[in-house]
This record gives sequence, structure tokens and C-alpha cells, in this order.
Amino acid sequence: MLNFLQMVVNGIAAGSIYALMGLAMVIIYKTSEVPNFAQGEMALVCSYLAYMFLDQYGLPVYAVFPAVLVFAFLLGCLLEFAVLRRAKEPNVLGMIIITIGLEMILMGIVSWKFGAEQKTMPFPVSPYDSLVIGKLYISSLEAMMLCVTLVIMGILFVFLRFSKLGVAMKATQQNATAARLMGIRVRRILMGTWGISSVVGCTAGLLISTTLMQPYMMWDPLLKGFAAAVLGGMTSLPGAVVGAYLLGIIENLFGGYVSIEFKSTVAFAVIVLILCIKPSGLFARHYVKKV
Amino acid sequence: MRSSGFKLAAAVSALVLGLAFGVWAEEGVTDTEIHIGQWGPQTGPAAAWGSVARGTDAYFKMINAEGGIHGRKLIHHMFDDAYNPAKTLAGVKELQEGTGMFAWVSGVGTAPGLAVKDYLMERKIPWVGPSAGSLHWITPPEKYLFAVYPLYYIEAKALVRYGVEKMGFKKVAIIYQNDDYGKNGVKGAKEELAEHNMKLVAEVPVNLTDSDLKPHVMKLKNSGADMVLLWTSPKHAVITVGTSKAMQFSPQFMSTSTCSDFPLMMHISKGLWEGVIAATFAELPDSPHPLMQKYKKDAFEKFAAKDERWGLFFYAGIVFAEPLVEGIKRCGKDLTRERLVKELEGLKDFQGISGKIGYKPFDPNDPSCRQGQNHSPDG
Repeated sequence: MLNFLQMVVNGIAAGSIYALMGLAMVIIYKTSEVPNFAQGEMALVCSYLAYMFLDQYGLPVYAVFPAVLVFAFLLGCLLEFAVLRRAKEPNVLGMIIITIGLEMILMGIVSWKFGAEQKTMPFPVSPYDSLVIGKLYISSLEAMMLCVTLVIMGILFVFLRFSKLGVAMKATQQNATAARLMGIRVRRILMGTWGISSVVGCTAGLLISTTLMQPYMMWDPLLKGFAAAVLGGMTSLPGAVVGAYLLGIIENLFGGYVSIEFKSTVAFAVIVLILCIKPSGLFARHYVKKV
Repeated sequence: MRSSGFKLAAAVSALVLGLAFGVWAEEGVTDTEIHIGQWGPQTGPAAAWGSVARGTDAYFKMINAEGGIHGRKLIHHMFDDAYNPAKTLAGVKELQEGTGMFAWVSGVGTAPGLAVKDYLMERKIPWVGPSAGSLHWITPPEKYLFAVYPLYYIEAKALVRYGVEKMGFKKVAIIYQNDDYGKNGVKGAKEELAEHNMKLVAEVPVNLTDSDLKPHVMKLKNSGADMVLLWTSPKHAVITVGTSKAMQFSPQFMSTSTCSDFPLMMHISKGLWEGVIAATFAELPDSPHPLMQKYKKDAFEKFAAKDERWGLFFYAGIVFAEPLVEGIKRCGKDLTRERLVKELEGLKDFQGISGKIGYKPFDPNDPSCRQGQNHSPDG
């Protein structure tokens, strides 16, 4: 029983990063219906920038992290404005391919500038210290990640439900033409969406970097975040978070009781299963578009 | 008429002689150059090992700056295969059939190496020092393939023997990368334990793309192991040791040479690597060994890129190339592939910056004839 509970705790701990990446993907998907495969590398660029200021210039964490989150917002806006918006006769497939291209370019820039050798980000909370609750362990960093994820989800919920900009985002997602007719600047909304999504992804990147950094570090979290978003529903923010924690728990239980060798493939089996049984995900409302 | 007949005879003679010299001249060798090929991942998930090829490059540049070998410069052709065997094969074919390499040196990874092994051996092209300690290089031995890297299998045997006999550990587990590299470690550990009437208490595979190792560490912890072998990438080794600390599981960790770059491992583990026992295949980075000092001063400081680090992977590129360079030197001016093989077979206790290296005349039934370093757990 203790083992089972520890696996569940481990799953929740692993799920936080998936949740942040899933949230970041869902934010963009909700407004543009494009899964952004450059999400991980946008976070990668920001994380390496933070590393540069922390490790090479010795600046304090409390100054660097907020500055990098601002940079992440601007980077997201810039990519939407300078690349995505320029797509001629955009369709979903074309946009997806553009995001894959962006992913490769951003990773290339990081590899070129910082090299491939592993690094670690200086950070006050150690990923290797643990909190003990009864006989269950969770690392201090993962406990912090859990809190950060829940806070970000709360902020996003309040923002989308009660702020003017958030409501405009929802309107844009539901009907861009009608939103435009109501005076909403749809393009600016899209740009802001990319910015916010980039900030959420960057938070995940910064937290991962405190353990180990290398140019490929965001690929696995991105795929798991995508799987979590598909599981919960690509248009549901709470769905992505619940999906992420479910995925973390399923992976850990599968690794513990079935096969550790195939643990990492569970996420992809989940994608296939959900797309076959309930394509809109567990928590998303199913919209039927009239053409 | 007589004059034109003479000219024709002279032309035919020149053509025949020219062709004949063409046959005699060794591929990839001219009066002033020796062309050597090498692959290595400069991009992709294994790019951290890309410094091996860059180390070899700096080493060759150092040799060229000192006048080359018997008047010939070493022309180094390295390419990025991104640790993708399909790209390795395509790149090797392109260089071999396009430019023409005299020999190949190093080459990171078991899977990329296996993709080109048959191609090189069928064409009788020497390949010295694959950058992986796989049994595949010597079972069966190949006349033109000279291994330098100690076998992972032997490393595992040596570490287990040390742990069980000298340190008295009773329960040994292993976490291993789920590929040929990791499985070589499992094989060595199992065989050595069997000699002590013991068995592995846990064998935990980890995939290269895994980032969450908590289930893996739980399995190790539940096994009650007092010694854990790490046969993974440096990243996974650090995460395993760190996650173990978080789970309050503290066995003696012992690691393959792949994770023996102690300054790097100490840095990326935030100090947790202290106390880990690791096999290694060369001098340590801060070694006072005169050759290490020379390579650092004349190869690394003069020819490496500004942001390159003097680490194990970098000078591993020198380790794997040293026997090839020694073999070429021993050939003198008369450099052919067959002569190189003969000279390499003549190496006995050759001392560079790794352990002593020696080969034997080719015997298809004796794998050790092509294993340069560490034929047995005792060295």
C-alpha cells in the first residue's frame, strides 16, 4: 500500500511539468487551433538566457527570473507577429509545420550559442532535498512545482473568466469573425495569447533547468504535455492540468506494476486511445462547427 | 613514321606506368597528406559526446604544427551524424567514395559504429578506436578494426569484483540504458556475480528519452541493494543519484567510464557525485602526466574553440587516435593499409594517456588480438 501511495505521489510530482507544458499548448490552441510544437524550444531559449545571467554574470535569481518571464512574453508576441502572422493563406497544417520549423531554429540557436554539454541552473531550492510526509517522500523542488502549477492555473482561470482581455480571448476562440465585428482586435489577442503561453512554458523550462539543462531537455516534457492536453481536452485549461496529473500517475503505476521498460510509451498509447474513444478529451466540451 | 611510332610507344608506356603507380598508391595518402575520417554527434541528444571528434581534430592539428608525420599532414574529415546510424552510413560512404579516406578513427556510439562496420571491413579500411566499449568490435575480431576503449563488459566485471571482494557488498543492482551499451554492463555484472554465487537483485532499464526516474529508483530501493551500478548517460546517472537522495536511499554507486568526467559530474550533480566510484579509460583531467600537460598546452589551448572545456570527452578524442598515429609513425614513408595493420599488431604496452595498449597478430578465434586496453577485469 505504501508503495502504491508513493507511486501516486511520484506521479503527481512528475505531472506538474506536464501540466505547465499542457497549459501552454492549450492557451494557444484555444484561440488558433494550432498545436504549437515550438513551445518547448521557446522555453528552452528563455531558460538558457536565465542560465547565462545567473551562472556567467552572477545576477540574483529574484532579478533574473522575472526579467526572463518578461522576455518570454515578448518572444511569444514576436514569433506570432513576425512569423505566424506572415503565413500566406494559413491553414492548420501549414501553421503546425511553421511551429516545427521554429522549434528546429530555436534549438539550433541554443546549441550553437551554449553547446551541447549538460549544465545546471543555480537555484535556491534543491531538486535533491525532500519533504517527508509520514513515510512518503516528495522532493522540495517538485512540491514547489506543484504549488506553482496550481497558482498559475488559478491565475489563468481568474484572468480568462473575469478580465476584459481574458473574455476577449475566449470570444476570439469561439468566433473570430464575430469578435472582430464586436470591436475586438483579434490579431492583438492572438499575439497576447502567444505571449502568455510562452510565459507559462518558460516557467516549466526554468523549473526543469534547476535539475539538468541540455538542448534536448524540453522535448520529452513537450510531448508529455501534449499528451496531457489531448487527454484532458485541447480546449480545456483545467482538463490539461487534470490530464497531466492523471498521466503522471498512470505512467508511474505502469512503471511500477507492469513494465518499466515501456513506461515512456504510455503517454503515446494514451493519445491514441483518447483520439479513438473521445477525440475532444475527457473534460472539453465538444463544439460542432457549422460550415 | 619511325618518330610517330616512338611517340605512340612512349605514350602507351607512360599510361601503363601511370596506371601502375595509381594502383600502387594507397587510397587517401599522397606525398604530403594522409586523409583520416571520423564521425561524431555535434547535434542531437548525444551531442555532449561531440567533443570527442573535436579533441581528435585539435590533436591532429598539433601534430601538423609539429611538422606532420614523415612529411605528411593529417587531413581530418569529421562530420556530424547526430548519433543517427543512417546518417553515419551515408556520411561515411560519401567521404570514402568521394574523397577517399586512408583510415577511420574513433566514431562515437555503438549503434552508429555498427551501421558502418561491415562497410569498412569489407573494403579492408582500417578503423582504430571506436568510441564505445562494445563487445561487437571484437566478437568476432576483424583484421582491420582495432578497439581501444575498455569493454563495458569488463568494466562491469571489475567494479562488481571490487565491490563484492574489497568492499563486502551483498546486494548488487544495476540501472542501465536500454540498448547495447547498457546491456553489455548487465552481462558483465551478471557473469561476475555468478562467479561469487550471487545474482543481481534488480535490473532496471532506462530509455534515453526518459526524464522522470522516480519509478526506476523505487525499484532499486525496494530491492534493498547496497551497491548500484550506473550504466546510463551522465544525465540519467545524475538524476538517479539525486532522486535516490530525495528518496533517502543511499547505496554505494559505481559507474561506467562514460560518467567518469568528475569535474563535469560534480558540477551537474551539484556535488552529489562525491563518493561515487567510477571506471575510467584515461588519465583524469587534472593529471600531472607529462603527455596530458603537453596535449593540454599544445593541442587544447592552441587549437580548441574558445568555449571548449578540457574534459574527459575532449581528450578521449586524443586517446582513441594515439594508437593510429603511433602506427602511422612506425610505417615510415611507406604508408599502406596492410603495413599499418602490421605495425598496429606490433604495438606492445604502448603508453599514451590511457592504459597500456597492445595488439596481437590477427587470429579469428582470439577476440583479445584486437582489444587494445583492459583485456580482463584485472587490466
